[in-house]
Amino acid sequence: MKRSSTVPSRRDGQTLSQKPGNQNEARGINYESPAAKFGFGILGAVLLLGLWQFAAIRGTFGNGLPTVSATLIELFALFGNPEFWTDTFTTIWLAVLGMVIAVVAGVMLGLLIGTIDWVRYATLAVTEFFKPIPPIVVLPLCVMIWGPTNTMALALVLLGTVLSTTIQVIAGVNDTDPVALSTARSYGMGRVERLLRVTLPSASPYIGTSVRIGAPAALIIVVVAGLLGGAPGLGSAIYRSQSAGDFPQTYALVLVLGVLGLVAQNLSSMIERRVLHWHPAFREDVK
Amino acid sequence: MNSTIPTTTQPKAGSTPVARLEVQGLAKTYGHGPKSVEVIKDLTFSIHAGEVVCIVGPSGVGKTTLLKCLAGLQPSSGGTMKIDGHQVSGPPAEMALVFQDYSRSLMPWLTVEKNLLLPLRHLHLPAAEVRTRIEEALNEVGLSHAAKRYPWQLSGGMQQRVAIARALAYRPEILIMDEPFASVDAQTRFDLEDLCLKIRDELGMTILLVTHDIDEAVYLSDRIVAIGNKPAQVLEVLPVDLPQPRNQITSRALPEFSGLRTKVLSLIRQSES
Amino acid sequence: MKRHLFNLALAITAPFVLILAWFKASSQSTNAFFPPLSDILVRFADLWIFEHFVSDIIPSMRNLIIGFALAAVLGVVIGFILATVPVLRVLFEPSLHLLRGIPPVALVPILITLVGFTDQMRISSIVIAAVFPTLIATMDGIKAVDASLKDVCTVYRLDRKDRLLSVYLPSASPQIAAGMQVSLLVAFIVMIASEMMGTAQGIGAMTLLAQQTFMAADMWAGILLLGLIGFLSNVLFDLVKNRALSWYIGSKKMEKVS
Repeated sequence: MKRSSTVPSRRDGQTLSQKPGNQNEARGINYESPAAKFGFGILGAVLLLGLWQFAAIRGTFGNGLPTVSATLIELFALFGNPEFWTDTFTTIWLAVLGMVIAVVAGVMLGLLIGTIDWVRYATLAVTEFFKPIPPIVVLPLCVMIWGPTNTMALALVLLGTVLSTTIQVIAGVNDTDPVALSTARSYGMGRVERLLRVTLPSASPYIGTSVRIGAPAALIIVVVAGLLGGAPGLGSAIYRSQSAGDFPQTYALVLVLGVLGLVAQNLSSMIERRVLHWHPAFREDVK
Repeated sequence: MNSTIPTTTQPKAGSTPVARLEVQGLAKTYGHGPKSVEVIKDLTFSIHAGEVVCIVGPSGVGKTTLLKCLAGLQPSSGGTMKIDGHQVSGPPAEMALVFQDYSRSLMPWLTVEKNLLLPLRHLHLPAAEVRTRIEEALNEVGLSHAAKRYPWQLSGGMQQRVAIARALAYRPEILIMDEPFASVDAQTRFDLEDLCLKIRDELGMTILLVTHDIDEAVYLSDRIVAIGNKPAQVLEVLPVDLPQPRNQITSRALPEFSGLRTKVLSLIRQSES
Repeated sequence: MKRHLFNLALAITAPFVLILAWFKASSQSTNAFFPPLSDILVRFADLWIFEHFVSDIIPSMRNLIIGFALAAVLGVVIGFILATVPVLRVLFEPSLHLLRGIPPVALVPILITLVGFTDQMRISSIVIAAVFPTLIATMDGIKAVDASLKDVCTVYRLDRKDRLLSVYLPSASPQIAAGMQVSLLVAFIVMIASEMMGTAQGIGAMTLLAQQTFMAADMWAGILLLGLIGFLSNVLFDLVKNRALSWYIGSKKMEKVS
């Protein structure tokens, strides 16, 4: 009623209400326009880069901080380096593979734990205990068992993501509409059919959430496995460049990781939205 | 309670009543150029001190926009507003607003009394006065017992009374209410309406209330400003001559009541077609 | 009811059964990776309660606490400023999101190049990595302040101080707390990582050293300690959070009921 059709958009009210008074709507810069956002965003990045360059030239951090230009030159050199592409590919591959396995395992475990009461209670303490413990804690064990290998990295990714995926699926199972379940039962659906046709679809937003949170986490874990455990990929490339004193390369590689991290975040939330576009939670989102 | 009310808020007997609030040619257009939408066109009306005036119009006529302009939440595109003859811009100090959506207008992290305190803090009043104001305001709305509770622990009607108490503690000369009783049940609604009249009688406050409920408008008002769309403009200002004090049962049963009701309804219906 | 009691008993006994099973299964173990739990516990007591408490636990915990505290305060302050000053927000928000994409642990080698292998490096790594979750959450929280609450501020002519500190900040506090919880986790991860890179001090360093010298029981003792710190720090945070946000938890419960 309050926000009826003729009452104009809510955003107007919000932005104006911050600055009361008789001001002209047209006055001042509209920071929300796409052009302003883009322009200021570039300007901000340039400012930060300028600060970095200035500190590097002044030698604030000795020779530890390479100049922006040296880093960018190194970045372009990396693009022509096949080893870099192998490392990048390995990192992405391990993260994606780990994520896929984690989702499959998480769905199976989550359905098992979530639908059978006594299993849920029996595992409660264990899941609650391990939930806040990051996988880096067991990194030494993994390195001891598997050495600096892909297997070690993959194991670490699984240790870090399966539990959170499982917990999400359990939450999804708990959130299943009891009416839908009893309707399914009255139609004579068996246990397995109910699980696949009712419980699983209604838990799917939770699975989506676990992918959105898990994908960037998987990438981070692969990097950790490389950096601290010596597993192949960008992590160990950073370690090598840093201990060899090739600081421009260290910085260039970290920048690459920043971009990869950003892509992982955006891609996974895009996938979440694509796959779950039918779900009410996402229909509401699209205004 | 009466003793704390400055006598200036009472209508001066004998002399022609000075308009407490005077709105002249208020207009509001959103956007510019061909895409612009004219929501309010030339609204003119005035309210005398101690009056209860209801603005009635169909849903979606721009009543909320009108209130936002009056309360300084949005700049208007044209026209003037005077309080006691002085032109105002921005949120007037003499005014308090009670919002429709009580659950979103109270701070959930503050207890009831702290909610009342928040608007008083920047006034730098003596501590004793602040305490009295809060006590009196809660007493007025019958919520003294709930001072230490959180808004979300109270029912919807009680929450809206907290919002009213917050306005009372602020001691405005003009109380503006935006569909304040729209989201409470019918019984609570009657209680709150009577509370509104009691405030006016006991505190001499000037009340401007916006509603789409014609019955409510007739019951509460000294005068009704009927507005029609679109853009919003004043259709007619109707005096309501029902005897005071009003009573939910007897007042609503009066033939004048249904007469006024019919008149307002047909005015609004006409403007819609 | 009976079933409920059974489940409750199950939930309580399950972890003990599990530990007991580990104890039994590993008691005769000669596997190099999985030493007997009794050995691990003995080493745990020797290492962490006696030998290395002052030399390693205290520095690790100090770095974690200082780093997290600084990150939390800076995150709220910077997030607050960026959210309330539009110019700064549009200037730095895009860069911020790029920086946020960097895996927190990758900041450790960068900080090593800048400050070397010192406690200062460890604390700065923790601060820089852990600041982002709180910072972003603060910005989001302030952006999400309800328009009606903003209107209330305007109508009652609240001054800037009251508006920011008494309305915007508490209104954003649930999001801020959630961000801080992530910051705590990141701080913990980076604390371990900063110790695992080329130093000889701290719980992380001791644990990695034990792995490299194939002292499995010592390594397990380290993992156990780190796991406990991770778990307990989170429990502690939850306790403080639930106390500070009791109004939020209460109001959410009411919303669900109605």
